Amino acid sequence: MAEPHETLRLEGVRKSYNSGTPLETEVLHGIDLRLARGEFAALIGPSGSGKSTLLNVIGLLDPPNAGRLLIEGRDTGGLGDAELTRLRGRAIGFVFQYHYLLPAFTALENVMMPVLAARGRPDDEMRANAAELLDKVGLSRWRDKRTGELSGGQQQRVAVARALAMQPALVLADEPTGNLDTKSADGVFDVLRKVNQAGGTTFLIVTHDPRLAQRCDRIIELVDGKIVADRPNAAASPDPRTASWSP
Amino acid sequence: MNRYQPFEWIAAARFMREGMAQTLLIVVGVALGVGVIVFMSALIAGLQSNIIRRTLNYVAPIEIVPPEQVARPQRSDEAGQVAATVQPRSQQLRSIDQWQKVRAQVDEVPGVIAATPVVSGPGFALRGDANKAVNVTGIEPDSYLRVIGLGDKVVAGRLVLGTADIVIGTELAKDLGAGVGDKLRLTTAIGAAETLTVVAIFDFGNKGVNERNVYIALRTAQNLLDLVGGVSSIQIKVGDPFAAELIAQDIESRTGLEADSWIKTNAQFFTAMAAQRLSNTLIRFFVGLTAALGIASVLVVSVVQKSKEIGILRAMGASRGQVLRLFLLQGAFMGLVGSLIGCGIGWLFLLAWRGVARNPDGTPIFIITVEPQLFLMAAVGATLVGTLAAVVPARRAARLDPAVAIRG
Repeated sequence: MAEPHETLRLEGVRKSYNSGTPLETEVLHGIDLRLARGEFAALIGPSGSGKSTLLNVIGLLDPPNAGRLLIEGRDTGGLGDAELTRLRGRAIGFVFQYHYLLPAFTALENVMMPVLAARGRPDDEMRANAAELLDKVGLSRWRDKRTGELSGGQQQRVAVARALAMQPALVLADEPTGNLDTKSADGVFDVLRKVNQAGGTTFLIVTHDPRLAQRCDRIIELVDGKIVADRPNAAASPDPRTASWSP
Repeated sequence: MNRYQPFEWIAAARFMREGMAQTLLIVVGVALGVGVIVFMSALIAGLQSNIIRRTLNYVAPIEIVPPEQVARPQRSDEAGQVAATVQPRSQQLRSIDQWQKVRAQVDEVPGVIAATPVVSGPGFALRGDANKAVNVTGIEPDSYLRVIGLGDKVVAGRLVLGTADIVIGTELAKDLGAGVGDKLRLTTAIGAAETLTVVAIFDFGNKGVNERNVYIALRTAQNLLDLVGGVSSIQIKVGDPFAAELIAQDIESRTGLEADSWIKTNAQFFTAMAAQRLSNTLIRFFVGLTAALGIASVLVVSVVQKSKEIGILRAMGASRGQVLRLFLLQGAFMGLVGSLIGCGIGWLFLLAWRGVARNPDGTPIFIITVEPQLFLMAAVGATLVGTLAAVVPARRAARLDPAVAIRG
């Protein structure tokens, strides 16, 4: 039984590509991982270690080949496509390295999109909520701009606001600051941290940047599809400007 | 974002607006296709009714004639043998039995517009030295003019037919040297003769008809052809000239008499017409197919281009059904808008045609009547085709795996 305060649990999760063919390659070799509610964890590891694959599996975008995956205590094994889509939309928010905003829509509409897809029709409440989220990430002034007119950091902050639109229990961020300069990266990271502390949302952040990893509460290290280290990070500071970081 | 619009429509509208060049390409393609179909259909329908009006204007679509007289072989009583040779008997000019009743029955048949009794037979028109063989047709002017457009063909005089009056063609008038108001003598094979006054001269645009046909009052013809009280045929006008054969069969089964449609009596002509209609249908089909393939191929390209965005939508929680409907809506919308513009284009073509295709005297070469149904069918058809053409790309989009779409 999963405890109610547990957002995510993986038990012996394996993932391979081209399964059933001679080219079969296993990327994840039995991952066990638990994230409690409100955790702010970094997932680090060299390129090709399976970080993004793990994130796709957790995000219900790719089904695991073996093992159990529980989101908020609910076993996702055996769920159909429609149920997975519903669960993904309700419980998980995504922030990708590239922002993946819809260029045809404004910042506000992009933030509304997950709620809109779930409810079918726009209403004033979802508009107000989206405006509030944009306010939270500091983009009130840009909410009616097409996303193509925003800077990289601003786009990524819109993506963060969108990830939070469904008030998900878990936000998965794949290199959320990978494309940004240091200043913008800090800004985005601040926003993530602030949301985590304000609402108790659980975060799992994939990053290459040791500076950012050091600011997380917990650091999980993945090498060749296995978790080789998983430790709390006492050095983490809610305010990056006062954080002292040493290699 | 309008609050009452569903998600699928909002997204479809944005996608179409974003890919404006593609959207316009499809809309223009559909519009041209529909324009061609509308124009072609109206043109060919107009052309055909014009050809029929001009060439078969002196023929009734259906004619009821008395049953043929046949010689019945006599049997010998004992041996049960049949006579060795049976000579077909000659046909007398006979009346349709109880023709008033038949006429009333025919009026009830669906598709029949008007029916008129006719007495016709051979005769000679004499004036001075001239003596011409003619085809005498006795008519009841009121009902006859509803079946045959004789009134429109009168080039001189007035079509008021009394018992001592006659209407002749331009050729006969020339041969006899007769004008309106002149008298001529009409004799028939049984020896009856009558002196009649020319009240009108017609021109059917056909030399044979203008030379041979003469029209007199029904009563006069009955006397001249020894068919008092009877009629030799009932002529019938129908709404759809191409449905004449079916209606004729209906009439045959109701009355038990022989009803000949002009499709049977002018088989060659109607075969040519049918070929023309078939080619029109083929052209319409291929134009429709081309438009459909155009929509489908542009939408397929659009799905490939938008696969990333579809993946994002799916990752945001949009269902397969929503993605499917999003693309079907685009196809339907572009089909509808294209067809509306296409109807406008077709209409403009027809107006232009009407302006250009004129006889030297300024009258239109032929009249095109445009039915609203044609536009309605084109619009509904193109919308359907657009939706159907979007099925393949829409299903492809719906099947996209969000992870693959985003990664790719």
